[in-house]
Amino acid sequence: MKNRLKVLRAERDWSQADLAERLKVSRQSVNAIETGKYDPSLPLAFKIAGLFDMAIEDIFLKE
Amino acid sequence: MNQTDERGQQAPKQAIPPSMKRYFWRIAIFMIAYMAILIGGLSLKNSANPPEGIFAYALAILTALPICGVFWAVFRLLVEMEDEYQRFLVAKQIMIATAVTLCAATIWQFLNVYDLAQEGPQWLGVLWLVMFGIAGGIVRWRA
Repeated sequence: MKNRLKVLRAERDWSQADLAERLKVSRQSVNAIETGKYDPSLPLAFKIAGLFDMAIEDIFLKE
Repeated sequence: MNQTDERGQQAPKQAIPPSMKRYFWRIAIFMIAYMAILIGGLSLKNSANPPEGIFAYALAILTALPICGVFWAVFRLLVEMEDEYQRFLVAKQIMIATAVTLCAATIWQFLNVYDLAQEGPQWLGVLWLVMFGIAGGIVRWRA
């Protein structure tokens, strides 16, 4: 699944480690989600959406 | 060792999660217990008066229990891991180890059926643990 995580993160000038700290996950998790290697669970997707104050479908896109 | 993120900056070293700390402690305790029981048990077995009957059975099972504890520690790690992506990687690691062990056991068993191997599958638990270690490297290398 594609996502806009890297762009949204870059807009806020956050590193992967910064985002990982805010989400309370590992930096490897952020990297895996950004590169599309791993699709987050619904709770984590909601957490990400909440952090960026956006809807899930505005961050995670259909292929 | 700190890793470098995509901006070329040194990512801060992440603390070891509590679930991993508990896992390492559990593994250390079970391995120390295993070594102590194994050395003591083999010394008894090779002594002038080796245990017999129910005592021999008890000693054999007692030696196996710490290894069973290692399996328990691995599956508890899967339950307790805080990070869902890391949990996903450990689940993959377990699946690879299980698949390879079951394939090896099946092939070995049929070699035995066709009289091409002297004995049937043995030490499958140890094989699983070795494969679990190897799979860990593969899964994280590909992650």
